[in-house]
Amino acid sequence: MLESLTSLAYGFNIALEPQNLLYCFIGVTMGTLVGVLPGIGPTATIALLLPATFKLNPISAIIMLSGICYGAMYGGSTTSILLNIPGEASSVVTCFDGYQMARQGRAGAALGISAFGSFIAGTVSIFGLILLAPTLAEFALKFGPPEYFALMVMGLTVVAYLARKSMAKALMMAVFGIILGCVGLDPITAKPRFTFGILELADGIGIAPVVMGLFGIAEVLENLGVLTKADVFTGKLKGLFPNREDWRRSIGPIARGSLLGFFLGLLPGVGAIVPQFLSYALEKKLSRHPERFGSGEIEGVAAPEACNNAAVGGTFIPLLSLGIPSNAMTAILLGALMIYGLTPGPLLIKNSPDLFWGVIASMYIGNILLLILNLPLIPLWVKVLEIPYSYLSSFIILFCLIGAYSLNNSSTDVYIAVIFSLAGLLMKKFAFEPAPLVLAFVLGPLLETALRRSLILSDGSLLIFLQRPISAGFILFAAVVLVAPLFSQIRLGRGLSEED
Amino acid sequence: MKKTKSIAAGASALFWLAVGILACYGATRLGLGSVTEPGAGFIFFWSGLILVLLSLVVLAESIRSSEDTVQEMGEMNWAKIALVLLSLLLYAYFLERLGFVLTTFVLLSFLLGWIERINWARSLAVASAAALACFAIFELWLKIRLPKGIFGF
Repeated sequence: MLESLTSLAYGFNIALEPQNLLYCFIGVTMGTLVGVLPGIGPTATIALLLPATFKLNPISAIIMLSGICYGAMYGGSTTSILLNIPGEASSVVTCFDGYQMARQGRAGAALGISAFGSFIAGTVSIFGLILLAPTLAEFALKFGPPEYFALMVMGLTVVAYLARKSMAKALMMAVFGIILGCVGLDPITAKPRFTFGILELADGIGIAPVVMGLFGIAEVLENLGVLTKADVFTGKLKGLFPNREDWRRSIGPIARGSLLGFFLGLLPGVGAIVPQFLSYALEKKLSRHPERFGSGEIEGVAAPEACNNAAVGGTFIPLLSLGIPSNAMTAILLGALMIYGLTPGPLLIKNSPDLFWGVIASMYIGNILLLILNLPLIPLWVKVLEIPYSYLSSFIILFCLIGAYSLNNSSTDVYIAVIFSLAGLLMKKFAFEPAPLVLAFVLGPLLETALRRSLILSDGSLLIFLQRPISAGFILFAAVVLVAPLFSQIRLGRGLSEED
Repeated sequence: MKKTKSIAAGASALFWLAVGILACYGATRLGLGSVTEPGAGFIFFWSGLILVLLSLVVLAESIRSSEDTVQEMGEMNWAKIALVLLSLLLYAYFLERLGFVLTTFVLLSFLLGWIERINWARSLAVASAAALACFAIFELWLKIRLPKGIFGF
């Protein structure tokens, strides 16, 4: 514990360097901006900014990119409350009571409590991260290829289990993601695989063009001619500070939301969306007036807003301590770490303590910045929403194309982004979810290497995954998750909104 | 409506069935290796096989019931979408040939003026300003190399 605190102090030294502070600021501001804007989310934004970070040192870069992740959680709530439009999928629930509060003239209190709730939750999750990540990394040093393989399989099955529609379809996307992720030279024999003679594919398909297509351009295409100017809340915002009664009612939900979000965010595959729904359901269950939920209860804003923020901190634990991303957003961060030449995994904390502790400290600073910036800047964000979507859509497309091109300076990547935008659109149409695909796409090469090494290790016996207790545990969990829906019609993902 | 939905779901399952079969076929050509020493096609074969099995499950589901297997997405303007996609492919094709500024100007003018129906004078003005601004930001400030093309910009 004492060691962690010393390391954290060291982290603050790094995070408070003027350059890092600046990038933290840019990250959280960008995050809030894309959180506010419907039609572009944190995942696409990180991919978009990736090329711009090459000239930076990796620490500043990761500080900025992670700022986008949690900044988006703050921004997403603003549009949910003021417009009843979730800027992000992880703010869907905030619409239920937040918008009702705004209609009753309590927009200020709703925005205030979601900002404070997010801040408290952010703090809780950062402390969780400090306590758990190094311990987990230490533990993960015992992991061999079979454990990693089993863990990734578990992560992918959990993602599929949480799919909103068909679990079979989500699994299909995961498997297809593995196939796509393994395109390129064979890691052992260097034989080109499914490259179709295209030289640029020898290095594999890049994550950036795939994400740009699936999450960026596809979204714009879907909204072509559909989204018009948003009906922006024009009333004057006042009383951003929640009153004593608001606090009394919110503090419990914020505490529960933070813990729930953090621990669910830890599980590979869960991400920030599902915990938010669960925390809303939990508060409704605990409330003495469940019937009032949906008509402007502050608990219904405080809990899910705390929860989605805490979940982001949770998702950073498997990413930084195991090198295993748990959703599309952290998947692309993993891609970024690898591009910067860092090896994500249990040794990251030991080998690059400046990165790990610097990023964690910056998250804390970023949360403070968000709290200071967010409330006074709300009128500005509302103004941003007045930019007509017809302009915005064209620029989102352009930035996605630039982002796709500039990673490798190759127009092949632009073609890939365009192809994946069509794929993303069709997948939406036929109810296939993109998240399992992206996660599996990033995990694919790691999964393959782990599987092949395990089999070489065990001399071809698949039993190796069951003979080692940790991997057996993961496989067992995955099996339960796979089989569970056969016996029960109730799945977490069902009933979730169609937003992604 | 339900019937068209289940046909669409069935068609998508058949598509993935084909993808799975192709992955397996490609994998066998790459060489599967053995269980003791997996080859280059090993992961593709098993992934392809799982994809085949899952698409059969989805196909069966679509025949059995027509429960919301296809998402209601509201009216989508497919003609417009096709035009945008075509313009993006052309953008990819001409980007390195004609250079970033010119291709971006043409693309943005098309997207703003034709697709979004903003008046042409404004579209052209915004497109030229944006193309130059992007060039300045990415190429000059962030030092990201953008394609120059035959005109040198």
